[in-house]
Amino acid sequence: MSMTVETAPRGQTRRSMRVDGWRWAGRIFLVFMLLYTALPMIWMLITSIKSGFAAMQFPPQWWPDQPTLASYEKLLDPQNSVGQDFLRFFWNSLFVSTVTTILSVIVAVPAAYAFSRFSFPGRNFLFFAVLLRNMFPAVIFLVPLFILMRAIGLVNTHGSLILTYLTFGLPLAIWLLKGFYDNIPVQLEQAARIDGATRFQAFILIVMPLSTPGIIATAIYSFIGAWNEYIYAYTFLSKNDQLTLPVGIQRFFSENTTDFPGLMAASFMMSVPVVVLFLVLQRYFVRALTEGAVKH
Amino acid sequence: MTIVTGKAEVRRRLQPGRSGVLRKIWEHRADYAYVLPAIAVMLIVIAYPIYYTIELSFFKTPPGLQLRDKSFIGFDNYTAILTSEVFWKVTWNTLIWTLGSTFISFVLGFGAALALHRDFIGRGILRAILIIPWVISAVAASYIWKWIYHSDFGIIGAVLVGLGLADRPPNFIDNVSTVLPSLIVVNIWREFPFAMIMMMAGLQTVPDQLLRAAEVDGANAWQRFWHVTFPHLRNVSTVTILLLAVANFNSFIIPWIMTGGGPSNASHIWITHIYELAFGRQRWGVASAYSVLLFLMLMVLGYFYVRALAGNDRKEGSA
Repeated sequence: MSMTVETAPRGQTRRSMRVDGWRWAGRIFLVFMLLYTALPMIWMLITSIKSGFAAMQFPPQWWPDQPTLASYEKLLDPQNSVGQDFLRFFWNSLFVSTVTTILSVIVAVPAAYAFSRFSFPGRNFLFFAVLLRNMFPAVIFLVPLFILMRAIGLVNTHGSLILTYLTFGLPLAIWLLKGFYDNIPVQLEQAARIDGATRFQAFILIVMPLSTPGIIATAIYSFIGAWNEYIYAYTFLSKNDQLTLPVGIQRFFSENTTDFPGLMAASFMMSVPVVVLFLVLQRYFVRALTEGAVKH
Repeated sequence: MTIVTGKAEVRRRLQPGRSGVLRKIWEHRADYAYVLPAIAVMLIVIAYPIYYTIELSFFKTPPGLQLRDKSFIGFDNYTAILTSEVFWKVTWNTLIWTLGSTFISFVLGFGAALALHRDFIGRGILRAILIIPWVISAVAASYIWKWIYHSDFGIIGAVLVGLGLADRPPNFIDNVSTVLPSLIVVNIWREFPFAMIMMMAGLQTVPDQLLRAAEVDGANAWQRFWHVTFPHLRNVSTVTILLLAVANFNSFIIPWIMTGGGPSNASHIWITHIYELAFGRQRWGVASAYSVLLFLMLMVLGYFYVRALAGNDRKEGSA
């Protein structure tokens, strides 16, 4: 399946040779993937420290003659109208994503717990219904949701976004967490309850701490999803001071189509929070997948 | 949502000889409280829109969402879609987009996961770098690549000219024949890390003892992979491929931002086309009919999806 397969020496090579061949193929493959992944990002950074004039040259300046942080200063300067907009979009994104994340965890944890522990009628049906949500693209729900949001007066508010973002984070969150709860022995809870804890206490004191990686993974997933979401924000919000970053940046640069250094600087700054968050917490994410979703 | 059944009703039904299901529901009534918030949110944001989309698909709708003036036209929207040329063009694009992105993302992600499985210096850093594109917003990714593909100042064009492979920078995204592959490259850039994470997680569940035992028995690297590792990964592979396929089928941002579906529909996929019909041309009825068709197709995919996701469950039984 992998690239390494094709390049492996076949036939009667000596064992150690064969292993080396695999290892080398793996290394070459990784170098290729590293270039594919990193070069676009490096080019984004290099462009972002060019002046508008330096960016528009052919052949391009591989490294700018006069590196400048002007684009960043412009975007982060609250005195300047561009800076004001950018900082406001940034704050809006942060607000919407944080609220979405907190609500997702609050809603997903009990649901996942119930799907894992209880056997009420309709459990499987409801669980599959929740999973099915992930199947359907945002666009299917867009028109009716737009009408619904208009009817309940949420158009042009962040509430409309938070409500919709909740639902597409939930299926994966519930699925991940359910895997976690499945793996926590019921006996632990039973022991706690014999010692006099209520079901709720057993849940808070025993189950919750053991499922922390799952909860962190759920939170990261919701936050990143909300931070990067574009279609609903693009459709539900039209007032400039409400926009979140993805839409705000798009709106802004459809008016300034040639300011590529500014665009790259904005893309970079938009990526920083989620990338840092993910890199700091990624081990929980992989662990959650290993223990939760990917089991046998 | 049988929970709404009134108390008296339930008591009546609880008489001996009545249906056992309702009794069970009543006995488990407290359990529903845990799932209720999740289900309530889902109902508002999913069940109602689905119902409304189906309804709208049978109506001719005036622009501007003045929906009081809509008129019933039966299946006309559907026949209009299925007889239009754009439909088949867009369907073909969607097929190439979904299959191409899914397959290549999976192969690259799986390869990277295998290559990263062995410990070496800098493995953690390398893994982190490879994951970054998945975390970056698709809007940012679209702009980064739009700049890379730029017809005058793009870096790829400059490299090609510099190496003497082209006389002048090729125009990747304004060209009917190169636009879709170019966008697929961007999509894969963002998606292979997901396959990589999933497969890395999967690889950790392959028991080391088995691999070592196979090695002792003289199995070579390929045999160990094929007979020990791969069977262990079958489940996670299925889930990963399905999740990728669904995500790709549903993707919107990259084609929308980079080309808006152009040139001459060459990069329109279903979702962007539906969006344009609805919010661009305000043909809500037709767009809804499109959505319903999409929905039906997804149900087929969904059947496999649920089976793959639930597969783990069933095997373990209800412990």
